Amino acid sequence: MAPRPQKKLFTRKKVCRFCADKEAVIDYKDVKTLRNFVSERGKIIPRRIVGTCATHQRQLCEAIKQARHIALLPYSGAAQG
Amino acid sequence: MRRYETIFILRPSQGEDEVTTIIENTKKIILDEKGSIITLSRWGLKKLAYTIKKESLGQYIFCDFAGTPAAVAEIERKFRIDDAVLKYLTIKTVDAISDEEIQKAITEAATKLAANRENSDDDDNDFVEEDILEDQEVDVVDEE
Repeated sequence: MAPRPQKKLFTRKKVCRFCADKEAVIDYKDVKTLRNFVSERGKIIPRRIVGTCATHQRQLCEAIKQARHIALLPYSGAAQG
Repeated sequence: MRRYETIFILRPSQGEDEVTTIIENTKKIILDEKGSIITLSRWGLKKLAYTIKKESLGQYIFCDFAGTPAAVAEIERKFRIDDAVLKYLTIKTVDAISDEEIQKAITEAATKLAANRENSDDDDNDFVEEDILEDQEVDVVDEE
């Protein structure tokens, strides 16, 4: 019987970007940073993929929603697409 | 006193005078309620992420101030009536702020502004703004 293929072969330990860099603050006005945490479609990328900790993901989520409200980020699709 | 941040978007067709009067009215409401303005900056014409009231561009104005909930309610009431305001967002940043803290925040904001100016020469700034404007104009033409 062939051994089961090892699943976790190339996974790297993900570190929360905001815990690693204490200087970085989550701000809804800082669109450049927030862009890293939404997909091309404008959806918020889940924690299991970006690797942010629960606290920062919560703050990030809030900031993205605020940015969406004031039209800095799109609700869906690329900006004005 | 609480510390708030307000961003509001005005129609791109609004002239300089109209924009100034809206800003002045907002300031007046804050000051009447014995609040104080920490920073007020114009971000200029920016592209919106989605169209609001059939506008794809908007003039952003950002105001950081210390005030009372009553002032915020009044400002938002005025914004809702005013047809020139496309959208607004008010966020409470600090729950309670003392007079000393307000003064400190004002001086901090002023030094920050001065530092920003030193880092990038005024000429450069103007150039960048013009560039952005040109891009946007091109985009508008394309859409038509």
